[in-house]
Amino acid sequence: MEEKILTKLFGLKDSHTIDVYLKHDGYKTTRKVIMEMKPGEVLEEVKAANLRGRGGAGFPAGVKWGFVPQNIDKPKYLCVNADEGEPGTFKDRYIMNHDPHLLLEGIIIASYAVGIHKAYIYIRGEYENVALRMEKAIEEAAARRYLGKNILGKGFDLDIYVHRGAGAYICGEETALLESLEGKRGNPRMKPPFPASIGLFGCPTVINNVETLSNVPFIIQNGAGKFTRNGLLKDGGTRLFGVSGMVEKPGIYELPIGTSLKDIIFKYAGGMKKGKKFKAVIPGGMSAPVLTADEIDINMDFDSLVEAKSMLGSAGVIVIDEETSMLDVLKTIAKFYSHESCGQCTPCRIGNAWIRKIVERIAEGKGKPGDIDNIHRLAKNMLQKTLCPLGDAAAMPILAITEKFRKELESYIGN
Amino acid sequence: MKITLDGKQIEVEEGQTVLDAARENDIYIPSLCDNPHLSPFSGCRLCLVEIKGQRGYAPSCSTIAREGMEVKSDSPKLRKIRIRILELILSEHPSACLICQEKENCDEYKSTIRKVGETTGCVLCPNNGRCDLQKVADALGVDSIRFPAIYRDIEVNKKDPFFDRNYNLCILCGRCVRVCHEIRGTSTITFVNRGSDAVIGTALDKTLQDAGCQFCGACVDVCPTGALTERSLKYEKIADETKETICPLCSMGCRLDVGKYEGRILSSQPSEDGKVNQGQACVKGRFLLKNTVYSGQRIKRPMIRRKKDLEPVSWDEALDFVAEKLKGFPGDKVGFIQSSQVSCEDMFVFEQFVRDVLKSDQIAAESENSVYGILKELADESGVILPMNHKIKEISQADTIFLSGADIVSSHPIVWLAVLKAVKTGAGLIIAAPFEFSLSRYATLDLRIKPGSEAMLLGYLAKQVLGREDLSEKETVKGLEDLKKSVEDLRIEDVLKLTGIPNEETLTHAEKLFRPDRSVVLLLGAGFAGKEKIKNTLAAGWNLARLTRGRLFLLGSGVNERGQFEIRKIYDKKIDLSEFIRKAAEGKIEALYMTGPITLAVKFDPAFLVVQDSYWSDMAKKAHAVFPASTFAEDECSFVNTEGRVQRSGSIIPHYEESKPDWWIISRLAQKMGARSFSFKKSSDIFNRIEKEIPAFTGITNVSFTKEEDLFIKEEQGDKIGFLPAVYDRTVSSGEKRYPFLLVQDGGYDSYRNLDLTKENKGFAKIRETGIILLNPEDAVVLELKNGESVKINSESGESHAVVKISEAVPAGIVKTHFLRRLSPDSIFVSMLAVLPVNIKRGE
Repeated sequence: MEEKILTKLFGLKDSHTIDVYLKHDGYKTTRKVIMEMKPGEVLEEVKAANLRGRGGAGFPAGVKWGFVPQNIDKPKYLCVNADEGEPGTFKDRYIMNHDPHLLLEGIIIASYAVGIHKAYIYIRGEYENVALRMEKAIEEAAARRYLGKNILGKGFDLDIYVHRGAGAYICGEETALLESLEGKRGNPRMKPPFPASIGLFGCPTVINNVETLSNVPFIIQNGAGKFTRNGLLKDGGTRLFGVSGMVEKPGIYELPIGTSLKDIIFKYAGGMKKGKKFKAVIPGGMSAPVLTADEIDINMDFDSLVEAKSMLGSAGVIVIDEETSMLDVLKTIAKFYSHESCGQCTPCRIGNAWIRKIVERIAEGKGKPGDIDNIHRLAKNMLQKTLCPLGDAAAMPILAITEKFRKELESYIGN
Repeated sequence: MKITLDGKQIEVEEGQTVLDAARENDIYIPSLCDNPHLSPFSGCRLCLVEIKGQRGYAPSCSTIAREGMEVKSDSPKLRKIRIRILELILSEHPSACLICQEKENCDEYKSTIRKVGETTGCVLCPNNGRCDLQKVADALGVDSIRFPAIYRDIEVNKKDPFFDRNYNLCILCGRCVRVCHEIRGTSTITFVNRGSDAVIGTALDKTLQDAGCQFCGACVDVCPTGALTERSLKYEKIADETKETICPLCSMGCRLDVGKYEGRILSSQPSEDGKVNQGQACVKGRFLLKNTVYSGQRIKRPMIRRKKDLEPVSWDEALDFVAEKLKGFPGDKVGFIQSSQVSCEDMFVFEQFVRDVLKSDQIAAESENSVYGILKELADESGVILPMNHKIKEISQADTIFLSGADIVSSHPIVWLAVLKAVKTGAGLIIAAPFEFSLSRYATLDLRIKPGSEAMLLGYLAKQVLGREDLSEKETVKGLEDLKKSVEDLRIEDVLKLTGIPNEETLTHAEKLFRPDRSVVLLLGAGFAGKEKIKNTLAAGWNLARLTRGRLFLLGSGVNERGQFEIRKIYDKKIDLSEFIRKAAEGKIEALYMTGPITLAVKFDPAFLVVQDSYWSDMAKKAHAVFPASTFAEDECSFVNTEGRVQRSGSIIPHYEESKPDWWIISRLAQKMGARSFSFKKSSDIFNRIEKEIPAFTGITNVSFTKEEDLFIKEEQGDKIGFLPAVYDRTVSSGEKRYPFLLVQDGGYDSYRNLDLTKENKGFAKIRETGIILLNPEDAVVLELKNGESVKINSESGESHAVVKISEAVPAGIVKTHFLRRLSPDSIFVSMLAVLPVNIKRGE
């Protein structure tokens, strides 16, 4: 059995309380960092671990932290992206529910490394219980002086605030998240400038995913070497694979990065539900292009999936069986993105609306010849032509389905 | 820096976007959401370009050019992308006409068909021919759309004055949202909903007015389609001619482009290259200019009262009649009232006429009671000179701005834009006024001080500055010792008590904003306090500005108030306004010649009354002779704005009916009365004389105006620029026993000569909330009044009516209202609004 980095406490009674967390060496790393380490040392260790972002884009966290200017006359902020909105993704919820202090410890160490004194956890609005649990955990940690002024008597200050979103997928995009956190409408910002230089309230800001930060205590406690050895390939550590759809045992699986997709579905998640035939899988949350049966012999790491023209994304694995119509899948995707587009860019706002309309028309049996081409063209016209990645997130899965399942889709259109 | 654009090396400036660089080099990149004055939005995606070495496509509107960048602005691929994007836009925009095969025939034969309620195609669209979407469709050559057009079926919003909002035509470019937020600081509108439901709207779907709209029209001007259209233009032709003019509706002198069709004025829009307004206007300049010219109140022809009634006569007859009558009055029995809203040329002729022909020095002018006049009076008394020229640009470059005496968002909107610019780049804004304004949310310190305590606050700040600075270089400055003495005993406890500022920290914060390393601007208007108080405020403001090496920017009111002030400087004997009123009331002025508005509570019945104005008024109706004066639009006029900037506008329409320029009327009258020197043919003849005779205009010739120069009034400089004596009286204005509330009036700037713009335009009356008094919730409880109830307002001098609006923007004990003429006995001219003790009772 591989070593658990993130799910060590999952399943223990009251694993979310600080008492249980402390009993299992919790905040030991915080002590070590604050008592013994210099911020630069922490940063170097995280860089060495090649901890790639778990939110979807896979950008190395250490490098991101390194972009923050140090000699600047402005406060710096850490924003924790807990706006887990990608369909098929539910890993961050598990971490925050079962081990909120692990995340807090990650936040404390990251803030120490970058010189941050205020951190915000942006939690999606639907996660009410999670938000309450995080708030409680913050209270507990503050009571034990792991948070607040003069942490552990060593002069480092850090306050963490929980901020709840209001139900917009786009606010998971890091710059839209910043806008929303500032109290504005959650529209994405133009980049550059990047948040590391001009972020929240115009100040340097680090934005990390929940899972990413939750890896940090392990890296510091055990060293970058041990962390990278956990991964099977060049990416370090494990991933929380959230398996859903038509499998026998859907759920969260912590496995080394690079575990075979086939194994995830057939070994860990118990294979296809009721023995039905496998048809397709979305490997990394809904915006990841679909893979067919002959494409699942693949290692689940960032680069392998890019090579297969898909992406590891949020590692939300959605399994589709033979009885599921790909038109329904397409409809779900189209509805979601047309509803979640912020409305700023033409190709995404109107393009997604048209894709939805055409797909719905096909589903009603009113499809016309050429409709699949229309959908494909609209999606292509979105790809790399919008301000933020939402356009791509919509275009990629739609292009993949219309390309790989063209025949099936055509079969829903009469002549 | 150089980049390669379509294979051509071009020079670009640091920080310039690729789109701007392309524009400068006449390379067309289609774009709909970009506007040179606004931050990039990158929403329409039409301006995507290819950049060598960069994945995908980059929006040229937000891509900053980098040294050596290689950009392709056009390629078959880009063309395809753009057409597809445009197709999407057109699928949501009633655009059948754009791709209609009978387009040409239609353009020719159905050009007036747009008089419909709902726009379903270009020929029915009020924006037809002025539409950016049409231009892009033409440029890209779209001739078919793959999608059926979807009519979004959003109800056309006509709830607000001046313009309609038809979001069925909106392409979500967000220009209106950005101009409202970035340039105007109003943030009335924003995007609401998301995805394909996204639309522009207000918070909670309120009306624009309730959402804080100032109706400046900037959103209408930047709208690329017909989504936002000026209501009065919907049923009009497209202008066939554009002329430039200077807006006469406040003291800023904004440059406007006036659109005309067959000689008639259709619209007025801010000139892109206006030196004062830089492409912006306000509700008055944008929507009301037409009202001033075509008002139903215009006086059409000369009229005289031989017997009982006024009768129309020829100019000759009318002039003869008045000349004959005026000859019968000795100089000390005639009085002349001079408007501050006429041109320099008119003013000069008035002065000559009264002094040389009527042999009188009883010529009263609005500017005597203006901020300039009051300050000048003080300066003269103490032998100090006061430079008053300040460029509006200096406001936007300030580090600290102190504002008092005007709600500049409505009184001087263009000044507000400069303030906003400063605030956005980090300037500290101190507002010292009894009320909350819409701009209060931008204030660093929003000091709701008690009315009349402004001077006290300014004096205290001066004391603090004096206390910490090394003043050796200033010790010789005139009046410094007196200033030191006068502020010496201003104790912090007294200042806090008098101003109502809650604590010492707030004052300390204010002091810090006057540190020597900051460039300071004080903006002082004449409102909210009453004349005596304002005198002290202005003096204290001048001293503080002088001490901090800052600027005092005076907020005047009439379009040519400053010009009048400068012209009249050369005449020694000037009658004091109150003396003029007293004499008039006592019947010592037997013949009165009026060219401007006047409100006299005193009973006043001169033996002979001439009214020369563009509009009818109560006074005109009882005059013995009425002369129709033409407006700013009908003659060449020179004006001096509050900056001290001398500007000229040409005649944009012929004289209305039989009206004539003021200078023409007076010159002819003078000649009829035997004077020889009034042989002016055109207004520029007079300007030649002004240039020669009035030192402030030396060197500004008729030729100067034709060269796009910045022309400013000439001012005295030198070591006489000293401090003014200020009195820090320890009383605040408040009500009294019989009249427990203090009524403060706002909006006195809203008239042009005798035309009250709120009476002329219903929409304007609505946004100025005429007939409404703002009442603090606590007072409402005491008076047992609810929102919308009618009340009677009584003052020593009269009674008026209003409807109650409960608002926390006013403090307890004070009520605020739009100018109420009947209640304003001592506001002889509307620029100086009185602060009146009143009582308020329920009742119709």
